[in-house]
Amino acid sequence: MTSSTLLRRRPLTALLAAFAVAFFAIPLLALLVRAPWSSLPENLGTAEARDALRLSLVTSCSAAALSVVFGLPLAWCLARVEFPGRSLVRGLVLLPLVLPPVVGGVALLGAFSRQGLVGARLYDLFGFQLTFTTAGAVMAETFVALPFFVITVEAGLRSMDRRTEEIAATLGADPRTVFRRVTLPAIAPSLVAGTVLAWARALGEFGATVTFAGNIVGRTQTLPLAVYLQLESNPEVAVALSLVLMVVSLVVIVALRDRWLVSS
Amino acid sequence: MQGCNGPGSCVKGVATVLLAGLLLWGTTGCSSGDPSAEATGGPAAGSDGEVELTGTITVSAASSLSEAFADLAAEFSRLHPGVEAVTNFGSSARLAAQVRGGAPADLVAFADLASVQVLAEAGLVDTDGEPFATNELVIVTKPGNPLGIDSPAALAGATDAIVSLCAAEAPCGIYSAELLERAGVSIASDRVTRAQNATATLGAVSEGDADAAIVYRTDAMAAGDRVEVIEVTPGDSPTAEYVIAAVSGSANEPAARAFIDFVLSDRGRAVLAEAGFGPPS
Repeated sequence: MTSSTLLRRRPLTALLAAFAVAFFAIPLLALLVRAPWSSLPENLGTAEARDALRLSLVTSCSAAALSVVFGLPLAWCLARVEFPGRSLVRGLVLLPLVLPPVVGGVALLGAFSRQGLVGARLYDLFGFQLTFTTAGAVMAETFVALPFFVITVEAGLRSMDRRTEEIAATLGADPRTVFRRVTLPAIAPSLVAGTVLAWARALGEFGATVTFAGNIVGRTQTLPLAVYLQLESNPEVAVALSLVLMVVSLVVIVALRDRWLVSS
Repeated sequence: MQGCNGPGSCVKGVATVLLAGLLLWGTTGCSSGDPSAEATGGPAAGSDGEVELTGTITVSAASSLSEAFADLAAEFSRLHPGVEAVTNFGSSARLAAQVRGGAPADLVAFADLASVQVLAEAGLVDTDGEPFATNELVIVTKPGNPLGIDSPAALAGATDAIVSLCAAEAPCGIYSAELLERAGVSIASDRVTRAQNATATLGAVSEGDADAAIVYRTDAMAAGDRVEVIEVTPGDSPTAEYVIAAVSGSANEPAARAFIDFVLSDRGRAVLAEAGFGPPS
C-alpha cells in the first residue's frame, strides 16, 4: 500500500500513526532546539561533565562485559538444558526488564548493603563495601542490563540450526570445539546485538544506580545522574549531556537495525 | 493482526476503546471538577463559616515538610470537605523550576526565600511569601555513632566516611554548605553523595550505607532511632526560613488562600511545632 492509498482508505490509521510518530519526535526535536550548540564543547568540557562521561564509559562497558561473562552461560543453559524450574529461572532473569529500576536498587540494598543479607558477611569478613563505590554502580547497571543480553542470545541459540552442531559432534569435535567453532559463529549477530543492547541499557541506567551506589562525583555519578542533578544548577550542561546520550542511543538503533530489529 | 477479523476492524476496535475512554474520563473529570456537582448546599464545616470552598488545590512543598503538610492537608480537607488538597513534595529549587516551567500548583511552601524569589521574578507569585516556620540543621550518623563523629570538623576529618548532602542547589544543600563554611571545614568531594532533596539525603543514612548526613532537625526527628542525632554548636547552623505563597493565576485562589490561613493559624503552628519546626522569626 502506498502512502496516498493509506491516506484515502485508512485515514484513521494514518492519523493515529502520525500521532505516535509526533509523540516521539517532538521531545527529541525540543532537545535539539534547546541545545546550546555554540557552547557545547565548553559544556561537555566542564569537570562534572568529563567525570560523568568517563565514569559512564567505564561502568557501562564493565556492565556489558559482565553481562557477556555471566549471561552467555545462562542463555546457553536456558536454551539447551532441560531442568526443573527452567521457566521460573527465566522469569527471574527477565524480572529486571519490567521492575522499576528504583525497586531494583532497593532490592540490591537489601542484599548487598553493609546491613544486607550478603553484604553484611562481605563487610564483616573482608571489610568489603559495594555501596557508594564504582563497583556498586557497575553492579546496579549489570542488574538491569543482563536480561537484555540473555533474552537476545537465548533467542539466537534457539533459532540457529542445531544440525550443524550435531554434524560437528559426529565428525569428532568435542563439545568445547563445537561451541567455539560452530555455535558461537552461528549466533554472532545475536551476541553483538545482545552486548550492544546491554551496554546501552547500562549507559542509561539511573534508578538502581542512584539508589544503590549513590551520587558521588567521579565515583558513582554517571551521565544520567549528572543530567538529573545538573538540571537546576547548570541546565546547559544537562542538555549537552542529554544530547550525548541521545546521539549514542540513535547510533545504537541504526547500527542494530539490520542485525536484529528488522531481521527477527 | 491475526486476532482481528477483516481489514480495518482492529484499528476501529482500538479507536472505539480510546473514544470510550476519553468520554468516560471527560464525565468523571466533570463530576469532580464542577463545584455544583458535589456541593450539597449549606455552610461549610470550616471554622470561619464563610462561603463553602470546593475543588482541588495542588500544594507544592519542600520535602522536609512532607509529614507535617500531609497531616495539614488531611486536616484541611476535613475542615473543608469540598476541597481536595493534593501535595507534591520535592526540593524547593526543583519545585520552583517545575512551577516556572508550567507545572500546576496553587500554592508553594519552600524552605528558603530564594526559591520564592525565583517565582516572584517570573511573575508567578506576587509576594515574597509569608514566613511560617523555621528549621535547623543537625548531623546524623548510624545508630550508636560508630565513627565517633561529634562535630562538623570530625565529619570532615573522618576520611573513610561517606557523607550524604543535599543537591547543591536545593535549600538544604545551600544551608549545609553554609554550615560547613561557618565551621571552617570542607569535605572531600569523593566522599560526598548528593541526594535530590532533604528526605532523600537522610534516607542515604537511615536506609542506605552512608555514614553520616547533614539534615534538617525535623527530618532527623522523624527518622527516630534509625539514626543518631549530633547537635552542632549553636550559631554554626544557619536557620532555614520557610515561606508560603499563593501562585498567581491559580484556578482555585480562595481555597489556596484558606490553606495558607490554616497553616498560619494556631492549629497549623501546633502541627508544625509537633514535627519539630520552630516559630517563624
